[in-house]
This record gives sequence, structure tokens and C-alpha cells, in this order.
Amino acid sequence: MSSKPANAGRVRSSLSALEPIDASAFGRPSHPVFIWASLILVWLISLLPWRLWEPAPDLLLLVIAFWSLNEPRRVGMFTAFCFGLIMDVHDAGFLGEQALLYTLVAFGAACLTRRLQRFSPLAQPIHMLPIMVGAEIIVRVMHAWLAGQCAGWAWIGSVLLTVALWPLAEILLHLPKRGQDEIDSGAA
Amino acid sequence: MQEQGTIRLFKRGPTAEFRLLVLAFVALAMMVVDSRWTVLEPARQVISIGLYPFQRLMMAPRDAFETFNEWVDAASLASTEKEALQRQRIELAQLATHAAQLAEENQQLRRLLSVGEMAPQSSVAVEVLYEPPNAFTHHLVFNKGSSDGIAPGMPVIDEGGVVGQVVRVTPFTSEAALLTDEKVSIPVQVLRNGLRLIAFGGNVAGKVEGRYLTAEADIVPGATLITRGLGGVFPAGLPVAVVEGIIHDTATGFAVAVGTPLSHPERYRHFLVLRVDTSTQPSYEELTGSASNE
Repeated sequence: MSSKPANAGRVRSSLSALEPIDASAFGRPSHPVFIWASLILVWLISLLPWRLWEPAPDLLLLVIAFWSLNEPRRVGMFTAFCFGLIMDVHDAGFLGEQALLYTLVAFGAACLTRRLQRFSPLAQPIHMLPIMVGAEIIVRVMHAWLAGQCAGWAWIGSVLLTVALWPLAEILLHLPKRGQDEIDSGAA
Repeated sequence: MQEQGTIRLFKRGPTAEFRLLVLAFVALAMMVVDSRWTVLEPARQVISIGLYPFQRLMMAPRDAFETFNEWVDAASLASTEKEALQRQRIELAQLATHAAQLAEENQQLRRLLSVGEMAPQSSVAVEVLYEPPNAFTHHLVFNKGSSDGIAPGMPVIDEGGVVGQVVRVTPFTSEAALLTDEKVSIPVQVLRNGLRLIAFGGNVAGKVEGRYLTAEADIVPGATLITRGLGGVFPAGLPVAVVEGIIHDTATGFAVAVGTPLSHPERYRHFLVLRVDTSTQPSYEELTGSASNE
């Protein structure tokens, strides 16, 4: 009993380092099958040659960022890293380049997940823009350093387009969830 | 003592920051290693083999459409091609007899001089699978790889001349750097007077450059550059480019000949990979290593 105050202090300090088991928002999560199906579909679409157009939006990055924000327990940095690595091989670039980009964006999205779930789908992309630009700049600078050639600024257009498609992603990727919610509210 | 007995109410995995640090470090390490050495080539091959069926799957509609298109157009295509070929045959008939005569004479002279006879080149016809969306390189990925005998270093040609060089091979695909890629350099000579120079992928998109020409170098716009066969990778006599202009750089004192490639990698889908003996050639590691160290 005499050692109680000391113990309490230790418990309090270790409490701050703990994470609750269930940290998900108070809402219905999207179905994991739908999440993975959407990721794989967008990945397959990204294998098509439309990305040759330089300011083409990076749809895969958009969907990964979207799910890291909305379902951080299903899609995280490791998934982003793996998809990035596959795209590196497809694009014949340096291994790890897009893996780094996707990982950084997924981390940024996961950090903002609490905050951004209170914002509308139109305000969310405004928060995501600096994350994507920052991640791109890190990757571009690394590339410029390793390959000795500067990327130019065409990628800014790509990032802007990617972010601009966010509301569309919100509509499409939350479509099944919204349908479920409406059924529930109708039943209530 | 107390902590061991408590129920685990909280999940204690590595924190997000820690995971980010690990993954970012791995990605950065891979970038650095991949840009300098070829240690990661096996990993790339494994991913590439796994990726190949999906690439083919996604390209299937395009391929099907093109097959259908060709099938529909077959009759008209055949007749126009036949006309063109007939015209070409008449034009070539005279040249062919002349060439045969020269070849015979050449063979005889070579025998007289006891110069080794040129071995005929075996080749593989390849088709473009896709063009990697990469702003920094001019590469093409073909639908055949090491299982068809393609190896890094082999030249790629079309009917116009040299297209590029194979730089990376997986069992089912191969990746070629085009002439205009800045990492490709080919020993060439001017067809008219045999002036030797090296054609580099240009700073200007879609051009090749012959650098470090002295002021008195005898090269004029309109000159054709052909491979000179030194180095052993590119067989001698393949057309490479036509010189468009000579730029005199007063800063360095050298002139640069800018040329347009004679091949058209952007127009066609079928190319020929020449199966030259690459066993004595520098490996891709040395090729790119030397290029990236420049």
C-alpha cells in the first residue's frame, strides 16, 4: 500500500503511450471486400497507357489516400508501400520511388484521419493537397539527386487533378456504405 | 509484477511513426541501391513476372481491337501492300543484282586478304507491350524476354535503322532504351566520309547528338550516320540518324551535330532484336554504372 503513489505515477505515464483497441469512428465501416476490390481495380486501370499524359491524375494514389483516411485499420502504409513498389516495376523507374510517395501520403492521411472525418468531402482535399505536394517534393528531390535530372513541374498538374477527383472518389467509394446507412435509417 | 498479471486492454503495436520510419528507410535505401547497382534486379524480376499476366490482361482489349481491325481491313490492306511491294520489287531488283555482285566480290577479296567472314545475325521479332509512363527515360517494353534468347545489350532495329538497345530483361519481357534516351550512346560514322563519332541521346527530346566535334570536322547537315561496328554490340552499317544541323558552342570550343533518328519507334509496334553475342560485352551494371557516374 505504501508504494501506491509511485505505481500510480508509472501507470499514468505509460497510459499516454497506449492506444485503444477499437479506435474506429462511430460509423459503419466499409466492407473489406469492397475496399480491396476498389484498390485492385484502380491498380489494374493504372496499368493502362493513359498515364503517359504527364498531368494524368494518379488514381491509385487517390484511392490509397482515401482508404488510409477513412479505413486506417484496413489500408495502411504497408499496403501503400507494396502497391508503390509494383508500380515502380511497371513504370521501369527506380525501385522504391513510388513506394516512398505512397507511404508518405498514406502516413499523412492516417495522421489526419481523426480531424478530417469531421470535414466535408469538399474540405478534405484541401487538407490532402499539402500532404501530396510535400510527399511529391521529397520524392522528386530524391530522384533529382540520384538520377541527376530535374523533374520539371508537370507533376503539380497531376497532383492538383488527383486532389480535384477526391469528391468523386468520396461519392463512388462510399456508395455501398451510404446505401447501407439509408436502409438502416429507413428501418428505424 | 502487476503488469504481467493484467489483462491486455490496449493494443501495443509499433507506432505509426515507427512504421513510417522503417518503410521510408527501406524505400530510400532501395532507390539509392537501384540507381547505382543492380543488386535489386532479382527482386524486380520476381515482381515483374507476377505483374506480367495482369499487364497482358489489361492490354488484351487493345490487342483484340487491333487484331479485329487488321482482320476487317485485311483485303484493302493486302491490295495496297501488294502494289507497294510490287513497286519496291522492281526498284530493288536492279539493286539486288548489283549487291549480289558486290557481295560476291567482297567475299572473294576477304578470302584473298584472309579476313574472317561475317557471321549472319540471328534475330527475334518483338512487339511493344507498353511504354512505361516515366518522364525521365525513353524506354519501350517488349513482349519477349530471356526465354526467347534476348539479353541486355542487344540492339533493336526497325526498317529505318537502329531503334535502341535492350537494357533489362525478364523471362517474358524486355525493356529497351531508345536512341534518344540520354543513357544510350552508339559508335557511328558518317556514311559519306567515314568520320567516326559517338551518337548520344540528345538533350532535346527526340534527337541524337554527336558531341565533341572539332571546328574542322567534315560533317554537314543532311549527312547520314551509320553504325560503325566497333565495340561489337551494333553490327556495322545500320542507319542511325540524319544530321540536321551543327551547333557551335563557343563556351567549350566543340561543335555538336544534332540529328534526327531514322527509325520510328513511335509509329510501329513490331521491331527486331538482333541476337548479337553479348557474353563479351559489358554488363548492364557496367553500362548504366558508367553512365550514372558520369
